[in-house]
Amino acid sequence: MSIVLARIDNRLIHGQVLEAWVPFTHATCIAVANDELAASSLKRIMMEAAVPRRTKVVIGTVEEVAAGFAADKFAAEKVLLLFANSQDALRARHLGIDFGELNLGNMHESGGKIRFSCTIFLTREDVENFSRLEDEGVRIVSRCVPTERGENWKKMLQHRE
Amino acid sequence: MTWADYLFGALVAAAAGLDRTAAFQLMISRPIVCAPLTGWVIGEPMIGLQVGALVELLWLGRLPVGAAVPPDDTQVAVGATMLSAAMASVSAGSETAVILLCLLVAMPLGKVGQIFDRRVRHYNARLVRAAERDLESGQLERVCRHHLKGLLSFGLASVFTAAIIIVAGSLIVSLLGPLVLGRIEAMNLWLALAFPLVGTAVILGTINVSRAGTLFAASFTTALLLLWLL
Amino acid sequence: MSRKFSIPFLLGTAVRTFFLQASWNFERMQSLGTLFVLAPGLNRLYRGEALAAAYRRHMSYFNTHPYMAAALLGTVLAIEEEHAAGEKGAFGVLEFKEMVMAPFAAIGDALFWGGVRPLAASIALFFAYKGYLWSPFIFLFLFNLPHLLFRFAGACRGYRSGLRLLEYVQHWRLPDAAIRAKETTVVLLGGLCAYLTVVCLRQESLAPAWGIALLPPVILLGWLTRKGVSNLILILTVAALVLCIGQLV
Repeated sequence: MSIVLARIDNRLIHGQVLEAWVPFTHATCIAVANDELAASSLKRIMMEAAVPRRTKVVIGTVEEVAAGFAADKFAAEKVLLLFANSQDALRARHLGIDFGELNLGNMHESGGKIRFSCTIFLTREDVENFSRLEDEGVRIVSRCVPTERGENWKKMLQHRE
Repeated sequence: MTWADYLFGALVAAAAGLDRTAAFQLMISRPIVCAPLTGWVIGEPMIGLQVGALVELLWLGRLPVGAAVPPDDTQVAVGATMLSAAMASVSAGSETAVILLCLLVAMPLGKVGQIFDRRVRHYNARLVRAAERDLESGQLERVCRHHLKGLLSFGLASVFTAAIIIVAGSLIVSLLGPLVLGRIEAMNLWLALAFPLVGTAVILGTINVSRAGTLFAASFTTALLLLWLL
Repeated sequence: MSRKFSIPFLLGTAVRTFFLQASWNFERMQSLGTLFVLAPGLNRLYRGEALAAAYRRHMSYFNTHPYMAAALLGTVLAIEEEHAAGEKGAFGVLEFKEMVMAPFAAIGDALFWGGVRPLAASIALFFAYKGYLWSPFIFLFLFNLPHLLFRFAGACRGYRSGLRLLEYVQHWRLPDAAIRAKETTVVLLGGLCAYLTVVCLRQESLAPAWGIALLPPVILLGWLTRKGVSNLILILTVAALVLCIGQLV
């Protein structure tokens, strides 16, 4: 299996992912690990309708997607993995999905208080989750679109404090 | 250029600027349309057409996805057309050379447009709050009026951008003109070719097509061979 | 289900979508615009406090592609009509808006900004470079044909089909159409660049075959764009290089 990008984006599949990240990473498959989306077939169909046919879409709960990775279902794909929030990313990592870098795209609907950029607002819990992920060796980088320069989240945290 | 010309130019700048985001979006805001339109109202349609054709591809690939505001190519096109028309009548160089110089000067000035645009997009949040206040006090019929006030701020931002490009541009062009117009003149053809080629390259670099480079190379080579042999 | 809104009324709503983004702002994006588009419809459906509540409901955060918004808000009118009649639909109106805005935005971005606009522009540029003053009309015609269709037919279709709009959108496979449009654009740009190169070479009395030498620089510039170099820097650098070469020759 190869994960070309693991990203937190509360809008999940949208313009930035499809028009900027898919061509940039040459991803062949978008995997969305999100319990809420997996539970509603209509929401799932809408998300899938936005993706051109040549890109595969897999939508499941965090557990299902993790099981897919464990069973080597994505062996032949270049996977762009999407989470809606930091909790899901942490859970996925603990369920064995191995990503070395986590990209922060949009996090503005979580009601977070700490503002990092135009699009990223974090709660205390998010900060704790990221710290844990970082302790486990994941680099956490804020980067909305590929043309932006990526910035380590710790650096942004220092700017704020 | 008379004062009436500048007035008409400002009207086109406002209309095309509104078309960009705030209203209609019939793509009058694209350089290929708004530059000839500017040229037409000031009596120099061919200058406008040349400016429009040169600028069109440069920022075409910059999609307004996410919070990013693309550079204001509309006002660059309107401003450069006005600038070229004003300068062509007073400088010694050929029309094409003047257009190329004016464009090269107008493009960095267009960055100002981005600043104004961003300002307006922050400022408009006030309209939402004003509408909310009216809603709380039960004056529903006034709510929609606040929304339309946004047109004024977007329109003003466009006219300001165009004005800065024209005023600062005239100064820079009249200073640089005597120094570089001769050199530009000598390389007219190649410079005019550089604009669409760079624009195409930018599109190839950002477009969501697998192997865009290969596809382009194949098409380019085939077309070149055909044009050569025919 | 009762049908309160006539076709002329829906077309009027579509016209109001032309002003959807008049107060676009970073905080709530198209929120006030959505209310502006829906207001005449809401005025017909609700009275008194219920109307104020409906206004408040549609002032929440919202953002989608402006052309796709017509169909989406048509469906919102249908859902509001059901609610006003006391029927309980499958989806709350806010839930529906929230669910659909991102996919519709993605589809509209890909189709119109990424697909139709470059395609229409590259066709019109062939004529513009030939010096035809009517070439802007070619661009406007090619682009606005699908654009206006999406606005006006979209508003009617969205209202009439309600939630089944989603089935249609899924069925039309618009993202695939967008990719087809982009591929066509790349091919056309290849032709346009070749044509302009040959014209330039002929005027300099050089053989057209030399044009092939321009291919690597174009690919290189495309690669630099991918690496994040801004196009303003690229064009200014290239212009400076051309002028320097002119100085040397």
